[in-house]
Formats: sequence, structure tokens, C-alpha cells
Amino acid sequence: MAYAIRRILWLIPVLWAVATITFFLMHAVPGGPFTQEKKLPEAIVLALNRRYNLDEPLWKQYLLYLWNLLHGDLGLSFRGDRDVAMLIRNGFFVTAQLGILAFIVAAVFGLGLGVLSALNQNGPLDYVGVFVATVGAALPNFILATFLIVIFAVNLHWFQILGWGGPERMGDVLHPSAWDIKKLVLPVVSLSFLPTAYIARVTRASMLEVLRQDYIRTAHAKGLAEQVVIIRHAIKNAMIPVLTLMGPIAAALVTGSFIVENIYSIPGVGRAFVEAVLNRDYGMIMGTTLFYAAIVAVANLLVDLLYAVVDPRVRYG
Amino acid sequence: MRSTNWLRLPGWRWWVPLMALAVLLMVAACGGEEEGTPTATPGTPGPGASPTAEAQAPADQQQIVVQSAQPEFFDPHRSNFEQDIAIERMLWRGLYQLELTADGGVAAVPAMAAGEPTVAGNVYTVKLKSGLKWSDGQPLTAKDFVYGIQRECDAKVASPYQYVLGESILNIVGCDDYFNALGTETEPKTPTDAELAALRDAVGVKAIDDTTLQVTLGAPKTTFTIIMSLWAAFPAREDVITKYGDKWTDPGNIVTNGPFILTGLTPGAGGQVVLEPNPNWALEPKPALRKLTIKFIDDLEAAFRAFQTGELDITNIPAPEIPTIQADANLNKQFLKVGASRIWSVEMQMKNEVLSKYEVRLALSRAIDRKTLVKVVYNDAYLAANYWMVQGLAGFQGNAAFEGIVGYDPAAAKKALADAGYPDGQGFPTLKLTILDRPDRKAEGEFLQKAWKDILNINVEIQAVDAKTRSQTFNSKKFELFMGGWQIDYPDPENVLIGLFDTGGGNNQYECSDPDIDAKLKAAGAETDNAKRIQLLQDAETLIVTRLCGMAPVYQNAFLYLADSKMGGLKPNGQIDAAMPGNWCPECWFVKAQP
Repeated sequence: MAYAIRRILWLIPVLWAVATITFFLMHAVPGGPFTQEKKLPEAIVLALNRRYNLDEPLWKQYLLYLWNLLHGDLGLSFRGDRDVAMLIRNGFFVTAQLGILAFIVAAVFGLGLGVLSALNQNGPLDYVGVFVATVGAALPNFILATFLIVIFAVNLHWFQILGWGGPERMGDVLHPSAWDIKKLVLPVVSLSFLPTAYIARVTRASMLEVLRQDYIRTAHAKGLAEQVVIIRHAIKNAMIPVLTLMGPIAAALVTGSFIVENIYSIPGVGRAFVEAVLNRDYGMIMGTTLFYAAIVAVANLLVDLLYAVVDPRVRYG
Repeated sequence: MRSTNWLRLPGWRWWVPLMALAVLLMVAACGGEEEGTPTATPGTPGPGASPTAEAQAPADQQQIVVQSAQPEFFDPHRSNFEQDIAIERMLWRGLYQLELTADGGVAAVPAMAAGEPTVAGNVYTVKLKSGLKWSDGQPLTAKDFVYGIQRECDAKVASPYQYVLGESILNIVGCDDYFNALGTETEPKTPTDAELAALRDAVGVKAIDDTTLQVTLGAPKTTFTIIMSLWAAFPAREDVITKYGDKWTDPGNIVTNGPFILTGLTPGAGGQVVLEPNPNWALEPKPALRKLTIKFIDDLEAAFRAFQTGELDITNIPAPEIPTIQADANLNKQFLKVGASRIWSVEMQMKNEVLSKYEVRLALSRAIDRKTLVKVVYNDAYLAANYWMVQGLAGFQGNAAFEGIVGYDPAAAKKALADAGYPDGQGFPTLKLTILDRPDRKAEGEFLQKAWKDILNINVEIQAVDAKTRSQTFNSKKFELFMGGWQIDYPDPENVLIGLFDTGGGNNQYECSDPDIDAKLKAAGAETDNAKRIQLLQDAETLIVTRLCGMAPVYQNAFLYLADSKMGGLKPNGQIDAAMPGNWCPECWFVKAQP
């Protein structure tokens, strides 16, 4: 518990450092939020800068931002004057659904494929597993997505590709009508393929390592059933390196993929982040960057805590 | 010892299902498209029939989904992008609206106005129709137009299109003074509320009574009704904006007077708006559509796929997909190519030592094979252009006027470069060509780079940058060659010339400065006889193009759409469309009765 609290408190200086670096970097990049090809008259630029406090010296804008941040105010997006916190909340709700589903698919299939490959080393199932893992790691997800769309949506009309098939509000999560499976499948598969491949490869390698250990031989010698040896001893011990990988994978999936969200027109936060940078939308850049930093930090903390659950030898002081 | 291979299966049994899956995938990937000779002629506009001429589907089927780029605002006095304006024209109407004429032209006709304005010197008086209402049932009066126009001139609102009401275009008295109330960056002002109120009240627009609006200009203007049809002059409800502040355009708060009302909004990329008919829409026709969903999709490839799956009914499409569409009979008959009022050019910084020489600019222009560029890069979607005033505008002169002077001629290009002192490119410095970092723009840039190398033997380095960096480069005038152009804001030839080529013009970043051109543009701005005004603008265009003052035209764009065959009432027109085909009359759209 003390360890967990210490890690959470560490978030504060980490987020401060992220905010500071991001703030000054984004102001150093050419172009601003109101830069456009048809040059705005000076009076407009002045009025806009005043509206968003951009006419203040940079250090003052920085301190003002930190002050507002301490009060939970992430400011406004320059695109439409919408509350950044609201945009992130709404976008994250969608992105999280996509990320969680993709993570579940990646975990189930990745672990399953890795375990089966290891148990069938050099057999056909192993070859299939290695093939899938290699293709998954090598194939960019926008190419995979395009193939999936052309085959399964455009030609076979099995699925739909526009928008997200999940609820837009927390209150609708339990309503079956808020879910549209036809819209869920392709984005989830597109997003989960690469992490499935990574998880499968690491699981296979880890399982093979564990299966060669003396204690596995001892377990067999004691007459335990094969399934018991695999599930209770081999898989559990093989999970440590896999967990190390799954923490960052979970963070990456839950924070969204610009490419997948763009291809399927999903109103998620991953896409919002990239567009904020391209539009020099300072409020959204800061908000989404801090949000991601917090997510990654929390995900790493959860992974560390899970180590202690999986391996009783791991204890934090 | 038990075997560890309890999950191993005989090898051959695995290959049968795997092979079957591979065959299925191959069949699925190759199937689904109809091959064959297209039977429809591409580029044919939609039926354009009124709802009464074709049978409509029942009311519960009058729902469509349309693609649009992501908008920023739904406030007409803060909007800058065509996708914003496209939606706002569905929600509001001004005193006048732009429509097609019988001869295919465009004219401003009365919308909320009862008729043409009465003109007495510089004073324009407009009577409103009687019984006009807002969507919430409140009366729409002249005061609402006064508030809207004052708002457009308000520096705190910071409208990017204030200039159309200011001195450079319509010249409403006092508009610029109010707009400049906050001063400049180097000389800021901090007026008191009383001073701001006085400046606001001094703007030359007032309500004589509930149905009479009076606008005072600095000088008479033939384009009065056209400008008053623009979003910059839309009416606004002061009580609504005061009550809700920045959230006044949210569904439930927003009040509009156009054919549709905003009933749903998911903001941001991947979001959408939902529009439904305004029960208090004053004009005819009344919308047939019961629900119009506009999805924000910036990726046109994704939009194209969504059209193919039936999830979109109308969409823009990228030019590289044209061969795919034309090869598919079903898609081809749903394809619309509409000449856009957008001209694209190589812009040349006149302050650059090399580019300041006319012969150099001439050499660059005459080395561009525009027809081949359009064919190779854009699949012939666009029109090769040696002109600047776009086709469709009054006074259009076309390629014939300029082809022999600035058009493609490799021999003439080489001669011009030699006349400039760089025979066969010797001693010519490497120039930088700034482009947007996007596949089609890169292809275009590489085409030009190769052309200049092959014909003139000069080196041009391509700088591909993101949109903001590109705009910054352009506005700071720190460029040499720059791919850019102009999209008209309203269908009048002055909009493609004034401000772009006059010395010190707000959009003249290439520093074109020619006293002859200045004189023509100034005279055209002051001319009240329309025929003479058009002639002056044509003369200005001739000087600009033949002298290559700041740019060499390359092509005129086209809007490329796919519109489902079930759509009726589409009247696409490049001069007045914005982002969607025929969206200047969304109340004309309907879903046809299906057999």
C-alpha cells in the first residue's frame, strides 16, 4: 500500500515535467492556432489572442495554465471553444471501449496462440502461430484495416465501417440497443492484431523457457495431469515477462490509435490528439498530452502491482 | 511419461481448413465489383428536379447521411471554413440567397427580404417579408439583422470574414472603425464599454421598423445583394447569445431561421450533426428530408469506402479513386464532377531577386504542361488553366486568351530563361517549392520539379510541410515558389482579384505590385455600371496573367462527389456549393421513391 501511494505521488512531478516540456515545445513550433493561408487581418488576430490570453508573455501564459490546471481546468479548445476536459472525457469514453475490447482480444488470442505454439513446438500449430505473429508484427495496421474493409465490408457486406458501434454515454452501457456488433468487429480486429502478435511471440518464448525447467519435469514425475502442469505451473510462471509487455500495450490501446480511429471515423481521443498538434490547438495538445502521461503512469503502476500478485516473491517495501 | 504433445494434431488436417480459408478470402477480395463499360457519362449533374417532378419516398425514409470535413464553429459570425459555412447555410438564411438562374448563372434573389433594395445614393433600404419567424416561434425582425451585422463588425467576435462588410468590399459605414476598436498589436487600444457602444451604434445599419432595414455604405455597390446573402450578414438573436454565451450554438440553445434546425451534435473528429426541418421555415420548398445527418470525415478514402458499404449517401471523393469509380458501372452513374470556383497556381515571390525578373517567371510558366499534370496527378478531374478568373464567373476569358502568352511551350520557356541570363539553366540558383505534405500535393510538386529540370535544366527543391507551417511560410512571405490558390467566397469576379493582386492587398503575399493593375482594380471597385466593372476586372486579369504578377495559373479545381442514386433534388453548382453538392438548397433534397 505504501509503495502504491508513493508511486501515485510521483505522478505529480512527472505530470509537471510533461506539462512544462510540452508547453514550451508547442510554442516553439512554426505556425499558431490562427495561422491560415488566407491571412487574418491584424485586428482579428489581436482579438483572438486576447480572447485566449495568447497576447500575454509566454511565462505568464505558462503560470496561468498551471494555475488553472491545479483547479482542474484544462481550458478551451480553439476549435469551437469547447471545454477540453469534456472533449477528452467524451473521446476517451469511446477510445477506452475500443482499447479495452482490443486488449481483451489481444490478450485472449495472443496468450492462447503463444501457449498453443509452445506446446506444439515445431508442429503445424506452432508454424501457424509464428506466421500470424510475424505477419502481425510486420503488417502496418492501416494496410490490414484496408484489407479488412475491402473484403469484409465493401465486398461481403458483413460489417460496417463508419463510426463506433458502442454507447456514447456511460448510462447506455447496459442497453443492448447501444451496441452495434457490425461496427465493432473491424476496428477491434485492426487494432488488436499487432499486440496479439507481440503477446503471442513473447508468450511462446516464455512458455518454452518455462517448460524446460526442472520443476516442470518434477511435476510430471509426481504424476500430475498434463493440463494441471500446464495451467497451474507453466503458464503462471511464464506470465512475468508477458505482463511486462501487457502494461504498455494496455496503455497504448486504451489511449487510442489515430490511424484506426481515422480510418473508421471513430470519435475517439487518439485522433483528437494528433489533430490538435496539426491544428496547433494548444489547449487540446496540453490536455491530451497530460492525459496520456497519466494513463501510461497508472498503467505501469498497475503492472508493477500485478507482479506481486503473480509472483509471491515480489514484494514492495 | 505422458506426452507433452497432447494438443498436437496430425499435420495434414490443419492444411485443409487453412487452404479453404485462403480460397474464401481470395474470392471475397476479388468479387463484389461490377466490371464493364460505364454507361453513364461522368460529370453529369444530378437530376436537379424539384420534389414535385419526381416521386418521393415515404416520410420515414426521408433520412440521409452526408460526409463533410470537420467544422470548427456553428456561429456564422465566427466561421472561416467552407464546411462550417455549408452547415450554417442550412440553418440560416440572409436577406438574399444565391440561386441558379435559367441560363445556368447565379444570382442573389430575395430570401428574408420582400424584394430588391431601394437605393438612394449610398443608402440601401430593404423591406422584410411579413410574418417571418425564428425556429422557436419568435418573430424575426429587422433588429435581428442589425444585431447580426454589428456582431460581424465587432472586434471581440473576431470574424474572419468581417472584410466583406468592411471598406475593401461592401464598405458599410463604421464597420471597420468598430472592428479596429482594439487597435493593432503594436498600438493596442483599450476602449471603454461606452466607447465600444458608440462605435457599434455608428455602424451604418439600422432598423427603421420591424420589417425595414437600412444599410448605409461608403459608396454604392453593385454586389450589395450578393454580399447580403453571405453568412457574414446572417441575422442573430441577441437574447439567445446573451443568455447562453459561447454555448449558444449547442442543440437546444441555438435558434435559427433557415430550412433546418440543429437537433444533435457530437463534436470533434469522427463526430456528426443532426439536422431536422424547421417548422417555421418561411420559404418554399419546405424540406422533404426528415433527418439529415452530417458525419465529420476528413479522410476521403474512408468516406469512399463508407459510400460503398451504403453508410453514406453523399460524399466527396479523392481524385485517385476516379479510375476505380469509372470502371464500376454502378458507382459511375452516381459520380458527379462539378467545376469548382477554385483556381490553383504556382505562386512566385516577386521580391525574390531571380523571380522578380519577368523572363524567369515566364520560363517557369511555359515549362508547365498543365494538361499532362492534370491527367497524371488528378486523373483528368480538373481543368488545365492558363487563366485566373474561374469558369462560371461573369467575365470569364478562358485559356484562349492566355495560352499563347503564358501556356505550355518548351521552346519558348527555354528562350525566356536564356533571355533572363540563364541559358540552359546555367547559373540559375536552386529554388524552393513549398507544398502541403499530402500525397497528391507531393505528386504535383514532383511533376513540376521534373518538368523544370527536363526543360529548363534548373533545380527546384521541394519542401513538404504541414498545413500550419505552410500557412505561416506563406503569410510571412518567406517563400520562393509556393503551391497555392484561391477559392471564391461569393460568385463575383472581384472576389478573385481585389485584395489578391493590388499593392498591399491583404492576401497579396507574393508582393505583386503593378501600377496598371492597381489602377484597374481601383476603378473596378468604384464602378457602379456592372458591364463596365466586369470589363475593368477582365482588363486587370489580363495584366495579372500576362505579366505573371505573383503567380502562374495551373488548373481549376472540380468538386468530386458520389451521390446515391436514391437522391433527388441535387443541384450541384461550383460557384455556390460549399463542401456538398447543391447544398445551397438542402431544402430541395429528397429521397426518391424506390421501385
